[in-house]
Amino acid sequence: MSWLRISLTAFAISAALPVHAQTVTITTAGGDYGNAMKEAMWGPAAKELGYDVREETLSDGLAALKMQVTSGAVTTDVIHLGSPEGAQAAAQSLLEPLDYKIIDPKSVPEGAKSDYCYPFDSYGTVMSWNTKTYGQNPPKTWAEFWDVAKFSGRRALRANAQDSIEIALLSDGVAPADVYSVLSTPEGLERAINRLEAIKPNVAVWWTSGAQSAQLLKDGEADLVITWNGRAQTVKADGGAADYTFKGSVIGTDCLGVPKGAPNKEAAMKLIAAMTQPARVAKLTDFIAYGPVNPAAYEGGLIPEDRLKTLATAPENAGTSVFSNSEWWVKNGEAAQRAFDEMMAR
Amino acid sequence: MTVVRDPALAADARRERRFFLSLSLPALFIVGLAAILPILWIIRQSFLTTAGEYTVGNYQKVLSSGLTWSALVTTLELSLGTLAACILLGTPLALALASVRPRVANVLMAFVMLPLWTSILVRTYGWLVLLRRDGLINAALTGSGLTAEPLPLVYNFTGTLIGMVHYMLPLFLLPVYAAMRDIDPNLIRAAASMGATLRQVIRTVILPLSAGGIFSGSIIVLIYAIGFFITPAVLGGGKVNPLSTRIERTLSTFQDWGSASVLGILLLVLMALIGVMLLAARRLVAQNTVEAPHA
Repeated sequence: MSWLRISLTAFAISAALPVHAQTVTITTAGGDYGNAMKEAMWGPAAKELGYDVREETLSDGLAALKMQVTSGAVTTDVIHLGSPEGAQAAAQSLLEPLDYKIIDPKSVPEGAKSDYCYPFDSYGTVMSWNTKTYGQNPPKTWAEFWDVAKFSGRRALRANAQDSIEIALLSDGVAPADVYSVLSTPEGLERAINRLEAIKPNVAVWWTSGAQSAQLLKDGEADLVITWNGRAQTVKADGGAADYTFKGSVIGTDCLGVPKGAPNKEAAMKLIAAMTQPARVAKLTDFIAYGPVNPAAYEGGLIPEDRLKTLATAPENAGTSVFSNSEWWVKNGEAAQRAFDEMMAR
Repeated sequence: MTVVRDPALAADARRERRFFLSLSLPALFIVGLAAILPILWIIRQSFLTTAGEYTVGNYQKVLSSGLTWSALVTTLELSLGTLAACILLGTPLALALASVRPRVANVLMAFVMLPLWTSILVRTYGWLVLLRRDGLINAALTGSGLTAEPLPLVYNFTGTLIGMVHYMLPLFLLPVYAAMRDIDPNLIRAAASMGATLRQVIRTVILPLSAGGIFSGSIIVLIYAIGFFITPAVLGGGKVNPLSTRIERTLSTFQDWGSASVLGILLLVLMALIGVMLLAARRLVAQNTVEAPHA
């Protein structure tokens, strides 16, 4: 009797549930950033599509992606990568081609377009400083950042060639538009590396994670920190003695891709399309100062006027910027990183 | 040495041995599965290109790179530095622990063991709080006027070494303390009654008899230190790059599994070399202590 009741109840419960709830797994970087993406982007999109979205967080997306695809055990459907990593992943055939019948091709400006990893937001690698150390007179250009006689103080740089070598050339008087043509010559890369080596004695910390760079800035462990604008903005907004400038920033984008052999390919494409609707990428700036790539998100007052000032891609901020060139990094990344590591080991 | 003549007894002994051997089978199986298979896989991986073809190119690339050798030097500096600090700090500490009353020793031992129960990440970040520029130690130093400027205690080799020694010291202490506690007190009394000074007692009785413990402790410290990753990564400030961080870079930035596997094998070879050297040294010391009474 009771057995019958239990099975009837079980039957009633299973009938009440939607039979084909589509499950999709998304892999993000976690932390504040991952949370922002959940609140603004994939959370509402999942609700709209009726998907059951599972989140995995990883700090090193590309290494994990390669592990999953190579071992044939792909568990994630959508993965969040930096655009250079996205291009690298595409070159190693780790990603499915994006389905631009599902995703709106007009939502990406021509220059940022990718067949494999959909760019959705952008950040600037910027100069930030401790306002207690420099008061009203911080360094204003990268050349001044390198001027250790005029601006003594402990520097912190990322332990990675990405953005660092671009900035090194800017500090040496190369115009933003010429950075990659200079870097593409062997002397150009050497010039950038030499420039970094020149400032090395004044570098107190080579940081390895964005959270670490924010901590260094907040604690005053370093006086001048090259970091991402979202991190600097968070320290500033939290009342830290810190400020930053977009002058000469290196603008990069983050993107969403679908791993080769993902279990729910089509649903993944639909989720990418839905979570990057203009209103949703605009909403992302509520949580973290990373601006949309889609020009439509800047229209119709989706992003409040005063917040635009904190975004790297805002027209008034991007004038002196270098746009990170993923193609260059795919082709020359390993050689550049090796030269950088050798400089560090010297 | 007793010789078993009775065949029934001999069969009994054989059965017993077989039984004990079979008891170890599950452990052997797990070790085989969890340790040997991955190592074989890594060896295979080190001979493959990214496309999966056979190559020795990974070895050429890794062994011809200056980065590998500078990482190797850093690994040795960190490991031997940690070992030296552990021997210098740990041996007297073990001696002190072994010579106090057991009840006091137990309480002191609990203090030594306490850090072992704390997560290594928590301890590493704890050191960051203590050692950084506005940290407790520097605040005390500059506040009391001992130093005018904060000392660079972290984000360098010094900070890494402090963090590593803190982690390894209990691991070193345990076998050394055990060896010293087992020394027959009558031997020390005998030496003293023959007119040996404290220094002579330590040198001729205690140290030789606890050499086994010191060697075990040293091997444990080196095994841990050679592959240490978290502490150099957090406290080294990007400037201390042993083989472990090189492996991480090779995997995450270059996705070069082949080269990373070669670096892993290099670590394994290094460990084997050090193990052989330590065993040889131990045998030498053992011979000397046996010969000592005749001299």
